[in-house]
Amino acid sequence: MSLPFLRTHCGTVGARMWRDLGLAVLVLLSAAVESNSTSPPGKPVLLSCRSPEKETFTCWWEPGSDGGLPTTYRLYYERERLEGVHECPDYWSAGSNSCFFNKTHTLIWVDYYLTVVASNALGNATSDIFKMDVMEIMKPNVPENVTLLVVETEDSPYLHIRWEHPRNTDTESGWVTIKYELRIKQEKNNKWKEYMSGTQSHFSLYSIAPGGVYTVQVRCKLDHGSWSEWTNSTNVKVPNYVQNERSFWILVATLSAIPFMAAMCILIVKRENVKQCVLPPVPGPKIRGVDFHLLMSGQSEDSTNALIINQNFPLIVGWKDQMEEYLIVTENDIGPPSDASHCQKRKKSLIIPAGFCSDWEIQCKSTHIQNDCAGGTKNETGNFPKNNKSLSGESLSYMEPSKLQKQQCLGQNFVNTEATDPSPLNYDNAVKPFTNSGYVDIRKHVENTQEVNVKQVDYSRVEDVNGDNVFILNNKNLAFNSSGYMDFQRQEEKLSEDYSRVKEVGSNNVVVLQIQDMSADTKNPHATGAHKMGVCTELINSEYIDTIPAPPLM
Amino acid sequence: MPGSIRPVSVVWVVLVCLLFCSRLLSVGAAPICTNAQAGCHALSLANLFDRVIQHSARMHGISNDLHSEFEQYFLPSKNQIGRVSRNCHTSTIFTPNGKENAQRMARQELTEVILKLLVAWRDPLWHFHQSIAHHHDFNNFSANKALEMSDMVHELRKGVEKVAEKMQMMGIISNSVSSLASPEALLPSDSAEWRLMKDYDLLYCFRRDSNKVQNYLKILKCRIVPEHGC
Repeated sequence: MSLPFLRTHCGTVGARMWRDLGLAVLVLLSAAVESNSTSPPGKPVLLSCRSPEKETFTCWWEPGSDGGLPTTYRLYYERERLEGVHECPDYWSAGSNSCFFNKTHTLIWVDYYLTVVASNALGNATSDIFKMDVMEIMKPNVPENVTLLVVETEDSPYLHIRWEHPRNTDTESGWVTIKYELRIKQEKNNKWKEYMSGTQSHFSLYSIAPGGVYTVQVRCKLDHGSWSEWTNSTNVKVPNYVQNERSFWILVATLSAIPFMAAMCILIVKRENVKQCVLPPVPGPKIRGVDFHLLMSGQSEDSTNALIINQNFPLIVGWKDQMEEYLIVTENDIGPPSDASHCQKRKKSLIIPAGFCSDWEIQCKSTHIQNDCAGGTKNETGNFPKNNKSLSGESLSYMEPSKLQKQQCLGQNFVNTEATDPSPLNYDNAVKPFTNSGYVDIRKHVENTQEVNVKQVDYSRVEDVNGDNVFILNNKNLAFNSSGYMDFQRQEEKLSEDYSRVKEVGSNNVVVLQIQDMSADTKNPHATGAHKMGVCTELINSEYIDTIPAPPLM
Repeated sequence: MPGSIRPVSVVWVVLVCLLFCSRLLSVGAAPICTNAQAGCHALSLANLFDRVIQHSARMHGISNDLHSEFEQYFLPSKNQIGRVSRNCHTSTIFTPNGKENAQRMARQELTEVILKLLVAWRDPLWHFHQSIAHHHDFNNFSANKALEMSDMVHELRKGVEKVAEKMQMMGIISNSVSSLASPEALLPSDSAEWRLMKDYDLLYCFRRDSNKVQNYLKILKCRIVPEHGC
């Protein structure tokens, strides 16, 4: 058990011993080395040569180790077309470890072979041969006196940069050609912008930002040589020119704001007009036959009346001047109107005054009643509804509600007999279709009349309606009660023209006229009398048969 | 109506064309002549100098580029530097190697030196181009450059001759320049030296000589017509 232990123990002891021995040897050797510090110098290295103006040049080398002894360095050169080896003429002008060749020793376009020899007491060391031609080692000094100037013109300022050629370079004899390059940086971004200046020693930079700070650097090169170093940065701050522009823009803004404000004020003041102009009122929906306003007024009977009234009986309130009206005269195959008693059937005849269109389309058409609602019977009379060529009920809607309410009458000029049939629709039953109908153009002679409602008209009561025939029975004037009918004035003065009453309507489209005293009853109004219906119709029209001087139609 | 317009318009067009053509022909390409003959557009001496200087600068640039390309492919030649000084075939021509020497030289001499150099390089460059064109190692770009170089030498020589003529006319240099009459007399008798040179050495020598030509021209110009760009 103890044997292996002893063996390892012995092993470790041996290793340690050897280690100590090695250490001792090393120490001895190092001591020996240190004591022996002298050695030949290390090999120097020629770094570079440089000619700043193509007239002189300088070469630099790096020394190797000096071997612990003082070492001297010598530069030797051989030159093309020159016999022998020569030494550097000037070791000191350009600093340590350098050789400066002045003008007399510098030749262009010839090869130089340079070597540096380091020597100390123990030996020499020679560098490699360095071949060079002055033409190839040109690198000028930096340009000098870089000045920046901000030139302020009316339109826009620009930056003017000037500099001078580097020191010692001769630019006048043409021996060297210097080319410049500059770079400019704005303070904000880190990017340089480079510009070539050629052989000029000034440069102008346009479109500079006011308030910006510019940094400029310049460098140059000779002929085809290397570029010099950049000059130190030169800064300039461009003054702010915004004030002039700003005041100008403030003035412009103020001047343009005044009319703008005025326009806005006008718009606000007149906003209703503007609203009407821009957003015209949309006509509301209308139901045919229903008077919306009556409904809105709220009274039930009124609304009922409105509904009923407006269905079939539009109101005609007054005359229209120079309105053409048609008296529907049909062939009477039944007999003279005096025999109206025979006429059982009754037909509503629609003598529709001009400007009046009733709703009785069907009936009208069936009865061949043509209503020529000629003439725009607008509101001259004020009461006639608008004309339609067709007997449509739209006229109802054009009725002025005031008139409607006032009179509450049916404006339809239809002929009723005494029969008090309330429902206008019942007339259909009693109506005989016209066999043949013609029209007599009845010219009104109410030119002088301006008032619509106040006309002197004579009404004749219709005795009988036989089919399509209308029988005007007599010419007695109807007595009008004052229940809302219009007054009819006699307009005798208008009776200058000859008007005749229709006495009878003969066959073969013959109208028998009744010549009578014009002083009275010349008019043959054909209007509805008073109804005994709840509704009354007031027709204000009177038709006149214009009698031509010729004998009346017979 | 249209029928009468058409011949009128044709006639008008023809007239306009004739007018323009006559104007073009009259202005035309007036030949540049150094002596003020009638019908020539005479250039000033400064202008002539500028032209030849630009020309020589371009020539030197091309030779520089070619030399750099050669150096990439033919480095071994650099390793053989030793102390073998390259003998360019133009080394017999005495050329000033410094600024003072060049400034001290007479204008006439300087002009002669320039012309000698240019003459001496006409044939070698042509052969250089031929050898490059047939060499497999070079691309067409290099061959084109070599051809351009040899053409430029030829044209530059003519330009410098014109400049010399103008200077003689203006009395700047004397007329006793017999070399100008027969440039071939300038060549040294042993002019076949260049055939022994390698391509790379030829290029190296020409690069140097084109720089000399450019420099000498600039010195001449700044000495004779210094007002513009010196």
